[in-house]
Amino acid sequence: MRKLTLIAIATVMFAMVSSMAVAQAGNTASGTLTVTATVNSSINLVFNSDAAGVALSSGAGTNAATLAFGNVSAFGAIAAGITRTVVAGTSFTVSTPVDVLVTKSNSTSANYTLKAQLGAADATNTWGVAGNTVTSASAATITATGTYGSNAAEAVAITIPFTTASGSVISNTINFTATSN
Amino acid sequence: MKNYARIRTLMLTGLLLASVALTAQTTATGTINATLINKSGIALVFDSDPGGVALGNTGTAAASLNFGTVSAFGPLSAGVTRPTVLAGSYTVRTLFDVNVLQGGGGSPNYTLSANLAAAAPVGFSYAVDAVTLTTAAQNVQTNGAYGTDVQHSLNLTISTAAPGAGGPAVGAPLTTTINFTATAN
Repeated sequence: MRKLTLIAIATVMFAMVSSMAVAQAGNTASGTLTVTATVNSSINLVFNSDAAGVALSSGAGTNAATLAFGNVSAFGAIAAGITRTVVAGTSFTVSTPVDVLVTKSNSTSANYTLKAQLGAADATNTWGVAGNTVTSASAATITATGTYGSNAAEAVAITIPFTTASGSVISNTINFTATSN
Repeated sequence: MKNYARIRTLMLTGLLLASVALTAQTTATGTINATLINKSGIALVFDSDPGGVALGNTGTAAASLNFGTVSAFGPLSAGVTRPTVLAGSYTVRTLFDVNVLQGGGGSPNYTLSANLAAAAPVGFSYAVDAVTLTTAAQNVQTNGAYGTDVQHSLNLTISTAAPGAGGPAVGAPLTTTINFTATAN
């Protein structure tokens, strides 16, 4: 009889604990998070190696690339991807295409204007992009109707006088700016 | 003489009992049986995450989160990252914390679900962690720990399309409410 009583008490206690656990499992709490964002249109410019030109030595796919012509001369061997023209007795020009890719986002702009400017003055050599002379004095317009989302091959050219000493290293930075129209 | 002795004995006994009774009246004891029903419950609050943007009304169940100005290529606010930029869309991300408190319960953990209160603005898609949100509640986490800030990411994927061509409106704040529900397991 005493055993039966103990079993009955234990059963009741177990049932109570179980019912408490079931009740807890259903509890809920809620919250709201109000999220705000303001979208702005934007454009982006990157350089890519052009299939017909000298491969960018670094930074392809970014907006800070390096183009190395290597050794150039008026009459000697020239690397693949470089076009050379010579003005007899005066100078020679080496040129290679570089792709400029401008993309847009959240913009209704139809096209873009591309400008280029030398980072530092060069009193000896003449620099050009796509047939336009580029100096450090002001930005030259390369195109006023650039197409978004498509690689545009822009020929980068350097005209070097015959008077330049052999072994001279020629280096400069060309800053490109694309502006949505 | 014998009767007198008896009477005296009885009187003394009576006095003794009376004094005991008087002494007993100076103290009293009682028992109150109080019953308390301890109801279990949970509460949810949002907290700013050190790696994310600062929430408005942090520490409450009705917080706000502002990504600020976002774009595919431009600068972003502190605490906002841009993990992907694809041709058709880009994603901006920030972190926030959810803290679910438990009182009087034996639940080991909780399930967190989330849903958009209304359809997202055109060109917008929201995800909490890896769960893309819709207006239907979906589980974000099934074993949340009570009483601690649990970090979650809020990912906003934005179409790169122009306004009116499937992309979002630009230059104006776009707001969405996300409902979160924690359920004790």
